[in-house]
Amino acid sequence: MYRRALSWLLRQTLKLDVTINRVYPTDWNPLYYTGGLTNFFLLVLVVSGILLFFYYVASLDGAYASVAYLTDAVPYGGLLRGIHRYAADAFIIAALLHLFRNWFTDRYLFSRDGPWISGMFLLILGGFIGVNGYQLVWDTRAQAITQIFVQMLRAIPLAGPPLAHLFLGGPGISDALLPRILFLHIGTASFLYLLLWWHYVRLRHPKIWPPATWVLTTLGLITLLAALPGTAPVAGVPAQPGVGVTSYPLDVFFLLPFWLTNWLPAGVVMGGLILLFLAGYVIPYLDRETEPAMGVRHAGVAQVIDGNCTGCELCYYDCPYDAIVMVPSPHPGVTKAAANRKLLAVVMDSRCVECGICVGACPFEALELPKFLEADLTRRIAQAVAAPASQTVTA
Amino acid sequence: MAEPKVVGFVCDWAVATEGLTDGDGRLSAHPSVRIVRVPCSGFMRPDWLEETLRAGADGAFVTGCPYGDCLNREGNYLMRDRVEQLARRLSRRRVEAGRLAMLAHGLHDRPAFLEDVATFLQRLAALPPAAPSRPARPAAPAGGPAPAASTRPAAPTGSVTPSEESP
Ligand code: SF4
Ligand code: SF4
Repeated sequence: MYRRALSWLLRQTLKLDVTINRVYPTDWNPLYYTGGLTNFFLLVLVVSGILLFFYYVASLDGAYASVAYLTDAVPYGGLLRGIHRYAADAFIIAALLHLFRNWFTDRYLFSRDGPWISGMFLLILGGFIGVNGYQLVWDTRAQAITQIFVQMLRAIPLAGPPLAHLFLGGPGISDALLPRILFLHIGTASFLYLLLWWHYVRLRHPKIWPPATWVLTTLGLITLLAALPGTAPVAGVPAQPGVGVTSYPLDVFFLLPFWLTNWLPAGVVMGGLILLFLAGYVIPYLDRETEPAMGVRHAGVAQVIDGNCTGCELCYYDCPYDAIVMVPSPHPGVTKAAANRKLLAVVMDSRCVECGICVGACPFEALELPKFLEADLTRRIAQAVAAPASQTVTA
Repeated sequence: MAEPKVVGFVCDWAVATEGLTDGDGRLSAHPSVRIVRVPCSGFMRPDWLEETLRAGADGAFVTGCPYGDCLNREGNYLMRDRVEQLARRLSRRRVEAGRLAMLAHGLHDRPAFLEDVATFLQRLAALPPAAPSRPARPAAPAGGPAPAASTRPAAPTGSVTPSEESP
């Protein structure tokens, strides 16, 4: 089931690409830049967030007023807020697209699990930061989601109640809360960059920046949404302690779980979320047997043929996964070209995705994929060249 | 006229050739084209393309995923560069650069892929029929004694053993 569904999704994803590529030059296909776009939105969030930070007062009495002041009295304050809000939505959309695209197109296979795992962390923390952002405003919505969130936390067995206590800074909502949320919002956001390092560490030239067209288009869209009367963020109702909140405007990208608590107990929603993310972490390790059309070749981790390597570093520059390191040569090579080498290429197994790009890069025949050797290929070439001529002539 | 003999190296992740080829990898639409699947377009060592031509193919092409969408991130870009370099190198040895091509087609781009192959075949057909000088490398300097007649049917086939690398 899972496999069939995935192959189907893969086919649909790539068909979508074919369609998009008719419209744009392939280098511009926005779906090729979901990661770069996410990174770009994160930058927009950081910059606008820093500006917002200057006006924000983290106290139960001051928070709402400070946001209202920013929105109404500060020139372009409302716009800034809107940009921060819609960039956050864009961030989650792009991140989800990035996730699903890489999932459906098999880009988590072999040793690509590091980016996948770090990506899951990035997504979870990104969502968490978003929720925090809605809490910071401290209107009725913030109050409601804080209550629900605390319920969710408490529903976790054992660890829940202390976590809730820690989150609130006490047994109930007090002035200790908003500084904590502010720290969680900004501190976690800074932590994202650490995770991004993990996300990128084995990528050579990561595509962290989308083409200018898409930077400008998305920025324009975000600004437009932030500025138009219908979509610009409006001040909610200030939170009132002790008053139960029944309805509030919903941001589907961050607050969906809170919406679900309309029908489900908070504990169930929390459990569902945890299960969902655990499942996410398992994805790269699910054994996936693909249909023959997509039969995944396991060519084996690239091997350096020590005697031939001249230390020319060409493979090191071409490996897209930074899986090759050049080490000082421990002993001279065997071939004439390799006799005076200073460096030796070494493949880091944990990073190699068995693509063979380094094989194509090496002019000295010093790299091989163990399960698809040069000899295999040359035999195939010989067959290919030998056979069809006579066939076509006689046929 | 028989179609030019071509070997196409197609990345596992690029255009699906199931249904387009027979059991031996011969394209049904162009039986003179044989497809060899490789793990990534970037896997192709330019030497092997050269070898393919030397062994008697009229042309060789590599197919990767659409640019920007390489499963291995950069394989197709790298290969495009390598094919260009090789073409330049070969044209200095009076082998037409047009005998090499780099194509980029995603899994479902079959029609476009076949179109490109057809175009490539036409381009080859327009070239002088037999490659001018394709001496087996150990033999002699360029301009060796290629038979005046078409070398297509027999000449190279016997001499091609899997590997005789001598850089
Ligand atoms: S096969 Fe070579 S190029 Fe590909 S990831 Fe492994 S070391 Fe890098
Ligand atoms: S390209 Fe080949 S010869 Fe050069 S460093 Fe890499 S393995 Fe060694």
